[in-house]
Amino acid sequence: MRWAAWMLAGPLLWAGLFSVVYALHGVGCAWGWPALTTPIGQAQVVILAAVWVGGLALHAILIWQMPRGPSREDRLVSYGAWIGLVASLLTLAPILLTSTCF
Amino acid sequence: MSDAGQRMNPPQRALRLHRQLSGVWSDLPGWRGVLSSVNHGTIGLRFMATACVFFAIGGVLSMLIRAQLSTPRGAFLDTALYNQIFTMHGSIMMFLFAIPMLEGLALWLLPKILGARDMAFPRLSALGYWCYLFGGTIILLSLLAGVAPDGGWFMYTPLSDKTHTPGVNADVWLLGITFVEISAVAAAVEITVTILRCRAADMPLTRMPLMGWYMLGTSVMMLVGFPPLILGSILLELERAFDWPFFAVARGGDPLLWQHLFWLFGHPEVYIIFLPAAGALSTIIPILSRTTILGYGAVVAAVLGLVFLSFGLWVHHMFTVGIPHMALAFFSAASALVAVPTAVQVFVWIGTIWKGRPQLKLPMLYVLGFFLTFVMGGLTGVMLAIVPFNWQAHDTAFVTAHLHYVLIGGFVFPMLAALTYWMPLICGRERVPRLGEAAFWLILIGFHGTFFIMHLTGLLGMPRRIDVYPDNPEWVLPNLISSIFSMVMAMGFALFAFDIILQRFLGTHSRRNPWQAPTLDWAMALPAPVYNFASLPVAAHEGRDVAVTLARGEGLLPGAPRGWRETLVVEAGSGRPEHIAVLPDNSMLPVATALTIGSFFILMLAGLYWLTPLSILGIILVLWRWGFVMGADRDHAVVAVAPSLELPLHWQVRGTLAYGGAVATLVADTSLYACLLFGVGFLTVVAPGWPAPESTVPGLWSAALAIIALAALGFGAFAARQAEAGRATRMAQTHALSGIVSAVVALAAFAGIASGMDDPTRHARDALRGVLLGFAVVHVVIALLLALRCHADARGGRMSAHRRGAAPVWRLWQDFAFVTTAISALLVTAQELL
Amino acid sequence: MLLGAAAITAFVLILLAIAWRRSEGSGPDERVWTLGLGVGFVMTVLVALVGYGFWVGERILPRTDGALRITAEAQQWGWVFTQPGPDGAVIETQDVLYVPARTPLDLEITSTDVIHSFWVPRLGGKMDAVPGRANVLRLFAEAPGELEGLCAEFCGLGHSFMRFRVIVYEPGAFPDLSTSDGDENE
Repeated sequence: MRWAAWMLAGPLLWAGLFSVVYALHGVGCAWGWPALTTPIGQAQVVILAAVWVGGLALHAILIWQMPRGPSREDRLVSYGAWIGLVASLLTLAPILLTSTCF
Repeated sequence: MSDAGQRMNPPQRALRLHRQLSGVWSDLPGWRGVLSSVNHGTIGLRFMATACVFFAIGGVLSMLIRAQLSTPRGAFLDTALYNQIFTMHGSIMMFLFAIPMLEGLALWLLPKILGARDMAFPRLSALGYWCYLFGGTIILLSLLAGVAPDGGWFMYTPLSDKTHTPGVNADVWLLGITFVEISAVAAAVEITVTILRCRAADMPLTRMPLMGWYMLGTSVMMLVGFPPLILGSILLELERAFDWPFFAVARGGDPLLWQHLFWLFGHPEVYIIFLPAAGALSTIIPILSRTTILGYGAVVAAVLGLVFLSFGLWVHHMFTVGIPHMALAFFSAASALVAVPTAVQVFVWIGTIWKGRPQLKLPMLYVLGFFLTFVMGGLTGVMLAIVPFNWQAHDTAFVTAHLHYVLIGGFVFPMLAALTYWMPLICGRERVPRLGEAAFWLILIGFHGTFFIMHLTGLLGMPRRIDVYPDNPEWVLPNLISSIFSMVMAMGFALFAFDIILQRFLGTHSRRNPWQAPTLDWAMALPAPVYNFASLPVAAHEGRDVAVTLARGEGLLPGAPRGWRETLVVEAGSGRPEHIAVLPDNSMLPVATALTIGSFFILMLAGLYWLTPLSILGIILVLWRWGFVMGADRDHAVVAVAPSLELPLHWQVRGTLAYGGAVATLVADTSLYACLLFGVGFLTVVAPGWPAPESTVPGLWSAALAIIALAALGFGAFAARQAEAGRATRMAQTHALSGIVSAVVALAAFAGIASGMDDPTRHARDALRGVLLGFAVVHVVIALLLALRCHADARGGRMSAHRRGAAPVWRLWQDFAFVTTAISALLVTAQELL
Repeated sequence: MLLGAAAITAFVLILLAIAWRRSEGSGPDERVWTLGLGVGFVMTVLVALVGYGFWVGERILPRTDGALRITAEAQQWGWVFTQPGPDGAVIETQDVLYVPARTPLDLEITSTDVIHSFWVPRLGGKMDAVPGRANVLRLFAEAPGELEGLCAEFCGLGHSFMRFRVIVYEPGAFPDLSTSDGDENE
C-alpha cells in the first residue's frame, strides 16, 4: 500500500497548501498586512507567494522522487503527483493576479 | 502473493449448498424479519425503495411549486406554506432521496460486484436504515403538522435563529437531518471498510471494478464532508435551544460561519452524489458497448482529482457575501479546475462507446439522456464559477436550472439507468416491453422543457424562492412553459415507477446474466440469493462464466458448515486473503438503538431538555449491549477455505473489520474536530464582535485541572496498551481497571473546569470553549465505556493470547481523546495568554 | 459565453453521435481522449475563461478612489437608502434609491436583521446584506431612467415583495422628490 500513500501525497499537499494560503489570506486581511510594504512588494502578496512557491517546490520534489515504472500502481502514483502540482499551480495563481483584500 | 485461483474446492450439489446457506443467511419470517434483518440485500433494497418514496413526495412538492408559479399571482399556496414547501422539496431531495439512494445502491451492490457475501458491518447497515427512516418520518410529519422547516434548504442564519424563526420549524430540520446524517456517516464507515477489506481473493485495489473506486471516493468524501454539517447543526441547535452565540453578531458570532460550515459540506455533497452515478455509468457503458472501459487509470485519477478538488470549491456559493476578490479567485479557479476530471470521464465514456459496439438497450437510453443533460449542466457550472457572471446570476432561476441539470442529469438519469440495468438481478424478471422507452421520452422532454427555459427566466432577473411576481409580465410565459413541461416530467416518473412495479410482478423470468456482463455481480442466480455466492469467487473468476462453478461450491469457503455467516477478509492493497469474518445474525439491536437515539431527538424537539439524560443513558445501555455481542469466549480452530488455504476467524486477529471501522470513524471525528478548530479560528479573526470580554476563568485552578485531566488521559492510553499486552494474564483486568479510574479522574477534572467557566451565553468565545469541553467529555465517556468493556472482556474470559477483545479499539480511542483534549487545552491557554 | 457553451455541447454530442454510428474497432489512442480532449482541450478553455473572469472582476471592484458613497440598510422587508439629496444635503429614503448617471459610486450594504441581497438586474452585480458587516458594491448607471431592484437572498415571508426602485438622474438635475411617489421618511 506504499503506492497509495505516494498517490495521495500530491493531492494532500494541495489540500494543505490551499488551506494554509486561504487562512493566511484571511489573517492578513484582518491584521492589515496589505498596508505594509517590503522591498519586493506588498507584504500580503509576498508572504502568500512565498508559501505558495515553497509548496510548489515540495510538489516538484515529490514528482522528482516518486517511484516510476510501467505498473498500474506506479502510473497512479504519477497521476496523483501531477494532479497535486497542477491544482496548486492553478488554484493559487490568483495570489499574483488579483487584488488582495477588496 | 498467494494464488487462490489454483486452489479449488471439490464440487458439491448446488441445491444442498443453497439450502444450507439460505437457512443461515435468510431474514426471519414475518414482522420479526422486518425489524431484525441485517442482510445487505434487504437493507439496500429498503434504502432504495424508501428513497424512491421520498423522491415521489419531493416530486409532488415540486409540482405544487410549479403550480404556484404558473401564474404571476398564484393564489394556490400562501407564502408561509410556499416557503415550507420549497424548503422541504430541497431538503427531501438532497437528504432523504439522493444520499439514501446512493447508500442503498452501495449496500446492495458492493458485496455482489466485489465478490463478498455481505457488507462489513451488517448491523450498522440496519442501524443506518432505521435512523434514516425515523429521521425522515419526523421531517415528513412536520410538514403534515404545518410546522415544516421554512428557511430554505440551506437554513441560513440569522433567518433560522430563534428570533426570526421562533417555532420548531428550524429545529425539525436541524435535528431531523442530523438524525439522518448518522445513517450517512454509518454507511460511509461501512462502505470504506467493505471496499478495502471485503473483496474477492487476490483482487488488488488497482484491479477492482471501477465501481469500487467510485464508491471508495464517495465514502471517504462522506467521512470528511458530512461532519462540517453535523457540527454546524449542533452549533445552531445549541444557539437556538440554549442561547449559546455562534452566529449572533452582537455577541461575537458570525452568520458566515454557518455558510462556511454548510457549504464545506454542501459542495462536496454534489460530488458525493455524482460519483456513484458516474460509477454506474463506468460500469454500464462498457458492458452495453460490449467492450472494456477505455482508460482505467485515467478514471481512477479523475476520481482522485474530484475527491480532493471538490473540497476546494465551497466558497463559490458565497461569492456575494463580501469576501475579498483574491479569496474568491482561489475558489473560482478550483471550481473551474474541477471540470477537468469530470471532462476526462465524459471523454473516456465517449471513447469507450467509440471503440465498442453500443446497444440501444433501455439503460443506454438513460445514459444518452445523461450525456445531453449533464454536459449542459456542467457548462453552466463553469459559467457560474466565473466571479462576475456569478454576481449577476447568483440566487436566480439560472442557478435553479443549473443545479437541476447537474443533479437530474448527473444523478437521476444515471440512477434510472442503474435501476433498469440491475432490475433483473433484483427481481429476477425481464421488463415489460416498450413502457420504459415511453417513460424515458416523457422524462427527457419534460425535463428539458421545464428547466432549459429557466436559464432564460433567471437571466431575465427572476430570483429564487419567490411565490408571486405580479409586476413582472416578462416572466409569465417562461414560467407557464416550465410548469406545463414539469407535469410531463411528472407523468414520465410515474410511468417509470409503474414500469418497475410491472416488471417486479408481471415480467417474464429473466435468463441469467442478461447483459453478458463480465462482472461478479452477475455471476449468480437470478434473483440474487441472500448469501450472494455459495462459494466465494477469486479475482481470476472475473470475466468468466463462473456462476455454476461458484454455486457448486468450487470457490472459496463453500457453504455455511459452521452455521455462521462467514465472508472472506483480504489485505487492503493486494487482496491477499487474511482471515474469515463471522458476520452477525438477524438482530433487533439496530432498531432498538435507532429508537433510543430517536427518543433523544424527539425530546430535544419537544424542548424537554431535562429528560434527555434518560435517552443518553438508554443509548449507553444499548451500545453496551452492542459491545457485549461482539467477541468470543473461546479460541476457535482455523478454517479451511480451500484445500491449501487455512485462515483464522476474526476473533483471533488484530486487524479486524471492526478495527478498520474504528479508524474510519476517527477520520470522520477528526474532520468534525478540525471544523470546530476552524470555527474558533474563523470567529476570532473574521467575526465583527471581537475581542471577547475579559475572561474571568480562575486561571491557575483551571490550568491545574487541565493538567490533571491530561495526565489521567495519558495514563489511560498507557493502561490500554498494558491491557492489550497482558491480555493472556490476569493483569489485563487490573490494567483495564486503572483505565476506568483514570477516565473517571479526567471527567471529575472536567467538571471542575466547567464550574469555573464563563457563562457560555455571554460571548462566542465562551460558547466555543463550552463546545470544546463538551467534545472532550463525550470522548472520555466513550473511552470509559471501552475501558469498562475491556474489563468485562478480561473478567469474562473473552481475552486470550489470540483474542484481544475491545482493547485495540479502546487504545485507539484513548489516544484520540488524549490528543484532541491536549490541542483544546493548548488553544484555550493561547487565548488566555495572548 | 453562452455561444461557447452551446458550441462545446454541440461538439460533445457530435462526438457521441459519431462514436455511436461508426463500426467497432480501435479508435484513437486512449491518450487522445484523456490527455488530449479531457485535459488539454478543457484546460485551455478554462484558463482563458477564468483569466478573463479575473480581469473583469478586478475592473468592477470598488476601490478607495473617493467615489460617492451611499449606504443601503436592509431589514425585513424593505430598504433604507442614505444618499445625497437635491441640494447636496444627505437624505434618507425608503425603497427608492437616487443615483446620478455616469458616476461611479460605492454602495455600502448592511442589514439589521437577517441576510438580504441587493440586486438591480439591469445594473449588474449583486451583494449580500449581512448583519454586522458593511459590504461595498461598485455601481455605475449609464443613462437616466427608472430601474427595478429586488432582494435576491431568501429572507422570510416578505421576500417576494422586498422590491425597490432605482431612479437614475442626470448629475445636477435631482428629480422632484414629491412627484416620484416614493414614500420618503423626511
